[in-house]
Amino acid sequence: MTVPKPTPSQTVGPFFARELLWKDGGIVLFPGRGNRITLTGQVFDGNGAPIFDALFETWQADANGTSPSGDDGSRPYGYGRVSTDPEGRYAIETVMPGPFKGPGGETYAPQISVAIFARGLLKALHTRVFLAPLDVIKDDPLARAIGDPDRLRTLIAARDSKDPTIYRWDVRLRGAGEAVFIEF
Amino acid sequence: MAATHADVHPPYLYPDYKSTRLRAPAQPLVRVAPSPLETTGPVFPKQFVKESEADLTTWGRSAPLGEKMVLVGRLLDEDGRPVRRSLIEVWQANASGKYPHPVDDHEAPLDPNFLGKGQVLTDDEGRYRIVTVKPGAYPWQNHAFGWRPAHIHFSLFGNAYAQRLITQMFFPGDPLLAIDPIFQSVPEAGRNLLIAELDLEQGLEGVALGYRWDMVLRGPRATPMAV
Repeated sequence: MTVPKPTPSQTVGPFFARELLWKDGGIVLFPGRGNRITLTGQVFDGNGAPIFDALFETWQADANGTSPSGDDGSRPYGYGRVSTDPEGRYAIETVMPGPFKGPGGETYAPQISVAIFARGLLKALHTRVFLAPLDVIKDDPLARAIGDPDRLRTLIAARDSKDPTIYRWDVRLRGAGEAVFIEF
Repeated sequence: MAATHADVHPPYLYPDYKSTRLRAPAQPLVRVAPSPLETTGPVFPKQFVKESEADLTTWGRSAPLGEKMVLVGRLLDEDGRPVRRSLIEVWQANASGKYPHPVDDHEAPLDPNFLGKGQVLTDDEGRYRIVTVKPGAYPWQNHAFGWRPAHIHFSLFGNAYAQRLITQMFFPGDPLLAIDPIFQSVPEAGRNLLIAELDLEQGLEGVALGYRWDMVLRGPRATPMAV
């Protein structure tokens, strides 16, 4: 029996906004409570110019480190979706995800899985942004796979010194300071 | 031989598609197993989708202009299993090749009866059906005399975050496929997978053409592919 081939990826293109954006798509819903945080930053291209037409999606565990399941009757829990603005900025209002365990007992540090789609991206860019400092995440499976601390720092969101609920994470798709992207 | 993702997916950097030059990562991707989180995914409630949203031709005061069509197909995973109750989002240009989007500067008419947006949940056998009009081709500024072939955009969630896929469906026999760098970015072994086939009996007799297009997502727990 032949194995069906996966459908190839294609770019989301520039014309998605009206189609894929939801009202309040940047507010992530959970059934329980948690510490409210905002993940925000800018997305830049290889020239350092802001990418104003990216679709930025997030999926994350709840405050206890559990994968969300279900919905609030209108939208899924745990999932965020926004487009970047003319300055390349995105903002996701959510709760601080808890750490969780992998099948081999490994510990995943507090993190948010991110997918970026845009004109000029023939495939989604996947990565994980960490919401904890370098010393806390060093045993995380992705941190170990990356190794190089300079590369790893591209995935660490910086806590705002004035407002501790704000985590800043800028994403450079190419060139100096290029974020680490992953494939599963 | 079993297909690998590398056989069918385009590269990030495909210089003929100019926008990839500054947006494609230069560093190799880091291969990791999907986390336990990523083998789950957002669950869309049944009421997220209205049945009427699978028909893009009925929201205006009268029928939209263009060639009416019915598109049917199945959403499967790489093991051939149906992907059930999974969200499919579609969007497309109207029959003149115009999107109702502020960035679209193509001098083609908008159709007041066509928004070009729809969504549907697959059924228990992974099947979907949408009704729409065939989108028009349109010029773009990637290269001189560049025109995008007619296409419908698809956004798929599968049942796991690691299955998430955004792609485009094309039409059989379109001569513009040969000059479209977005379509041509797909390795040859994958290109036919993006082209629907004519299936007249899925259409509506005397009313709408029928097409069929099946989609395949990676398995939710597939391990990273071999190098």
